[in-house]
Amino acid sequence: MVASEQFTGWAFVTPGAVIIVLFGAVPIVWSALMSFQRSNLLTPSTPFAGLKNYRQMVHDPIVVQAIQHTLIYTALFVPGTMIVGLFLAVAMNRKIRFISLYRTAAYATMAISTISEAIVFIWLFDPSYGIVNYLLSLIGVPPQQFLNSPSQALYVIVVMTIWGWTGFAVVIYLAALQGVPQVLLEAAAIDGAGPWRTFRRVTLPLLSPASLFLAVWLTINALQLFDEVYLSTQGGPLNATTVLVYYLYNQAFQQFNFGYASAIAYFLFLVIIVITVIQFRVGRRLTYYRS
Amino acid sequence: MRRWLRVPLAGPLAAVTVVALGLAACGTDSGGTGGGSGAIQIWEGYTGAEAKAFAHLMAQYQAEHPGQKVSSLFVSNDNTLQKVLTAVRGGSPPDIAYLFGSWAPNVAQIPQVVDLTRVVQRPGVNWGDFWVGERAVATVKGKVIGVPALVDNLAVVYNKTLFANAGLQPPGPGWTWQQFQADAKKLTNPAIRQYGTAYVTPGSEDTVWHWEALLWEAGGQLLSADGKKAAFDSPAGLASLNTLRAMSVTDKSMYLDPTDSAYANLFNSGKIGMLVTGPWDLSGFPNVHYGVQVMPSYPGTSGGHQTISGPDNWVIFNNGAARAAAAEKFILWLTAPAQIRYFSLHTGDLPTRQSVGNAAGLSQQMNTALPGVSTFTANLAYVRQARPQIPQYPKISQILGTMIVSVLLGKSQPQAALSSAAQQVNQVLAAG
Amino acid sequence: MTATSAPARGGVQASAGGGVQRARRRWRLPFSPWHLVLAPATLVLIFPFIWLLVTSVETPSEALRFPPVLAPHVLRFANYPDALSSAPFGRFFVNSTVVAVGTVLCNLVLCSLAGYALARFRFLGRSVLFVVIMATLMVPFQVTMIPQFIITKWLGVHVLAAVGINHIGALILPNAATAFGIFFLRQFFRTLPLEYEEAARVDGASRLTVLVRIVLPLAAPALATLTALTFLDSWNNFLWPLIAITSTNQMTLPLGLATFQGAHATEWPLLMAGNVMSLVPMLAIFFLAQRYFIRSVAATGLAGT
Repeated sequence: MVASEQFTGWAFVTPGAVIIVLFGAVPIVWSALMSFQRSNLLTPSTPFAGLKNYRQMVHDPIVVQAIQHTLIYTALFVPGTMIVGLFLAVAMNRKIRFISLYRTAAYATMAISTISEAIVFIWLFDPSYGIVNYLLSLIGVPPQQFLNSPSQALYVIVVMTIWGWTGFAVVIYLAALQGVPQVLLEAAAIDGAGPWRTFRRVTLPLLSPASLFLAVWLTINALQLFDEVYLSTQGGPLNATTVLVYYLYNQAFQQFNFGYASAIAYFLFLVIIVITVIQFRVGRRLTYYRS
Repeated sequence: MRRWLRVPLAGPLAAVTVVALGLAACGTDSGGTGGGSGAIQIWEGYTGAEAKAFAHLMAQYQAEHPGQKVSSLFVSNDNTLQKVLTAVRGGSPPDIAYLFGSWAPNVAQIPQVVDLTRVVQRPGVNWGDFWVGERAVATVKGKVIGVPALVDNLAVVYNKTLFANAGLQPPGPGWTWQQFQADAKKLTNPAIRQYGTAYVTPGSEDTVWHWEALLWEAGGQLLSADGKKAAFDSPAGLASLNTLRAMSVTDKSMYLDPTDSAYANLFNSGKIGMLVTGPWDLSGFPNVHYGVQVMPSYPGTSGGHQTISGPDNWVIFNNGAARAAAAEKFILWLTAPAQIRYFSLHTGDLPTRQSVGNAAGLSQQMNTALPGVSTFTANLAYVRQARPQIPQYPKISQILGTMIVSVLLGKSQPQAALSSAAQQVNQVLAAG
Repeated sequence: MTATSAPARGGVQASAGGGVQRARRRWRLPFSPWHLVLAPATLVLIFPFIWLLVTSVETPSEALRFPPVLAPHVLRFANYPDALSSAPFGRFFVNSTVVAVGTVLCNLVLCSLAGYALARFRFLGRSVLFVVIMATLMVPFQVTMIPQFIITKWLGVHVLAAVGINHIGALILPNAATAFGIFFLRQFFRTLPLEYEEAARVDGASRLTVLVRIVLPLAAPALATLTALTFLDSWNNFLWPLIAITSTNQMTLPLGLATFQGAHATEWPLLMAGNVMSLVPMLAIFFLAQRYFIRSVAATGLAGT
């Protein structure tokens, strides 16, 4: 019984695993090797450089800033997206008129190209001509500099990306809400629980596996933020929106410093692993599986 | 819990490492894309009118030279470097690629790049016919690594209507930066959110090269003659930064665009009075009456109305003797005067050869299609030097970009910013 | 019993405290109050699409304005045929469809198998494998694209030409099983109660039969979600096709749309028209898939448990 389970287990897993290992794991090991070499991608020679790249990282003030920005961004983006997504998913989990259109609208935010998203948000937050400053002026707030301000630019990116990922959270939570048995909800009602209490005590725990999944997935993506920064602020102003992946792209393809970029990537990789493991450990205690 | 780390991981990890090491070692075999003997492939980023003109020229070449097959692949210019470098590492470079001139000092280190020094000296090529700024950018340490594909320069594009409405005289060919600043102030009207001028502030090379033109006009230099020390921490550097600061911080007549895209549309919407920009933007201004004038000068300095140019190169990669020869043949044909004339007339791009640019009637012809472009062509005569052609330039550019943006945002004083930047640049140059 | 899966009127219907709630509601809206939440939220969500649509029918001169013009004076529907004819978009569309459909089908099969094994089986190296799979998500593509290029080129030369550089297969194979799919399905399978599967195994069904006959039907919402998300990812994928494709007739839609973006000038109306046309299949797929998001209670078989 045990032996056949070993065999079946590996048989099921192997096709997918082969692809992921070949196209995923091998490049990762390659990048780890690259991080110990001095490489500019121009010449094939990549002399061994030991820990030089890593030591350079420690002394690089921009790396420190990039780490800060990446962590702040992640800490705001992940809960923000989950909360907005959960709220909308609950709202969309019913059969009222136009519900298909509402759901498609949420999904569509994921489908839009990042460049269109960037253009619209750059316009919305323009200090002189944007709608956000106009709305703020209606309630007496002076015009803000937003993407022109080193202290505000990162938060604009947070808002932009929450908008872009809401659809994803909605889709995940919608699927998970289907697993909440009507029977339990009705039992709670019979016991006298109001809608909010039912939600907190019955629905939320049953959604916890989805929440864990979302938290892990969104965190992994947030720590690797790149496209929106590249298409709007290019790391500026004054490195205010420089996050780790943008910085390593800059090092690899603008400064021709590929070994260093690999070191940054590998460092980020370790950070993500640690955070993900922590999330899983904490999640194990907080999530509730019915099986 | 560590048990599972030992046994199952060691074997697969070793296997994966071996594969990865093998990959790292290989990937230098030649093979290349493009197909059969003599068929060559070009990677370029032409859109719109340029794409049509280029397609026409390729067809014409193949008609005139039966047996020579030429095909092109569109690669957006911003992505070209990633694609080219990956292809180079993977052993499949294209035959010809359109590469930004600012990459030239680094591209020159790629072993597959063909050295064209003797090719461009062949009779009939007339290498000296290309503008001096182009030749400087195509040459790295005495080695010619590309043939000029594009040339441009910076001049001032101004909104005639806004000038008239403000009762201002349009800029004349001998104007000064003081006049520019005064005009910008008069053209600024916060009530209707109108600005006198604009500046792009992503902190990238786009931010830097606009300022470098001012530095040169003020009589300054970026680096010392031997290229070993920073030389911009000088009265000229201070004057140029002060000009920008006065408009951005003091007069608030300068719209700061961190996205590098809004400024052009703003000008086209009549919200900006003057722009320091290049000929590529002209086709984006269909809704305003604009004029073009040379850059202002700093009176009393040697810089004059000097401007800066940003040429790009066709770079040839070695995919074997036959294809390299075919690629050279095509590029030399493409950059011959007749084809340059055709391309310029049909796209509005400045002619890359002086003989074509100075030919009678060409400027008028181009002006009817794209008003004002002839001023840019004539302005090429004001290009006297190029940015330092050293591999560390990208790092220097980043330092300078931060310096300029922090002054524009009012976060630092010009002299302090200059000193700090010069110190950092010296460190970069010393590291070699 | 009602078949809706959540209260429709903002309050649980059959409750002992219903009397109090009914007394509070003096006025009734002709529509569900949730519309008051969803409609404005949807407006905020689709605002960029409004810009996209409007720009796609603008003339170039009105598109070159800032702030963007949302009420153009001149509409130009010719942007759509112009965009289609400026490059072989029919071919791009076919390529993108083949890649997306192929990727989705491969993922549905491979990720179900792998996800189920990781969720239910106990085999040596299970945790390690899961960690490795998750780890592949944690390195940015800019760093892995070069080795991936080299591997793909090697496969094309030594194994099968159709998955090598400049072939559509090269766009499908690296994503035929994604860590996302495996992770997502594993989490979902773990939420299913074991009773059904155990009952089937007691009856003598093989593991595969259990998966196909019992688990997958129960996982319809998850599979629909995975379909929609994988399709989206594949359809919009830009960087890997950019690196791997070297001839125009193998390009996918995102690469084709990039032909409107020059170094200094972008043809916005054409680009947005192209974007709109590119969006339609994705939205259609989602519109169809989202029906499976909501299962009727009867299908869960939980009534009476």
